[in-house]
Amino acid sequence: MADEFAKGLGILTTAGLVWMAVSSWLTTAGFESTQLVAPPPEDLGTYGELAILVREVSMWFAIFGALAFWVAIPAGREIQRARAERREEA
Amino acid sequence: MTDDTTTDGEPRTDGGTGIVPQDDQAPTWTERKARTQGLARLTYEYFERSRREDEDLRHESDYVERDVLAFPTWPHEMIRNLAITSFFIGAMFFISAAIPPHIPSPANPDATPAVILPDWYLYWSFGLLHLDPINPELALLGGEKLMSDRVYGVLANLVVVGFIAIVPFLNKGSARRPVEEPFWAALGVGGIVFAFTISVLPVQNLVAETFPMTVPELFTLTFILPVVAFFLTYSVLKTMREGYMFELNRRYYRLRPPK
Repeated sequence: MADEFAKGLGILTTAGLVWMAVSSWLTTAGFESTQLVAPPPEDLGTYGELAILVREVSMWFAIFGALAFWVAIPAGREIQRARAERREEA
Repeated sequence: MTDDTTTDGEPRTDGGTGIVPQDDQAPTWTERKARTQGLARLTYEYFERSRREDEDLRHESDYVERDVLAFPTWPHEMIRNLAITSFFIGAMFFISAAIPPHIPSPANPDATPAVILPDWYLYWSFGLLHLDPINPELALLGGEKLMSDRVYGVLANLVVVGFIAIVPFLNKGSARRPVEEPFWAALGVGGIVFAFTISVLPVQNLVAETFPMTVPELFTLTFILPVVAFFLTYSVLKTMREGYMFELNRRYYRLRPPK
């Protein structure tokens, strides 16, 4: 169980760091104004668009990665265990 | 033979220490464990069950148990520490290179900034310098204050630090969870809330701008909120005590159901 927590935390922090770095380059208007979540500039070019894609992917990877290891996999294990117990009782 | 003989002539084989070896009368540890009734039996079963649950968990676990007491500093600990150090140095390098901090324009030395504040972890101390509304004016001195507001604020720092220093002598903290000592837990929560409210006090101009609240109201809240938090925590923990003892008792009675 601790392993699953560490995996989820690792995904959340690593992907979050990538998201934060790209966001600070492209979607930060300024230190005194909107940080990290400002709308991206219009004329980004191919590499800029690619970075925005990386930003989106890393954000959803952080969210769903953590959810998978903290919620989905433990829940699946619990369901499996409950079904096995029920089978033993029957 | 002098070592083995006492003044009353009785032969002694224990060297006179008073520690006697186990004889036929004293129960062996096996016999002690085999006690079939009373609190001894209950306690034994209780701990035997915890031990058994622990053993079962260890059997279920996929960790490998090792028969070593510790790992040598070189190479094991050093390699591990090197890995951890490299990780954090790498994180610092990455963040400082990829997300360089904003460097503002130099401050104007001829003008006082609108907001003067110490570093955030000293806000509480800065807040204690704002206690001039409760610096008493003595009738004896004809309405004069005994000491200036600045001296009063510094003394308030000494009082707070002194109280925190005294707490460990008042209660050594044998409780392992807050329900066991609701008063001291509530005192701690009150102290934390006071640390927060007294830290908010020096930014009173920002609070007055943001919230519909005057400075005197904020000053009152600074001292009321910790007391409220104290009583709230105390009553919640006092209420939880019953449930906590119920859980403990349930564990006992599951082992030894009442007839």
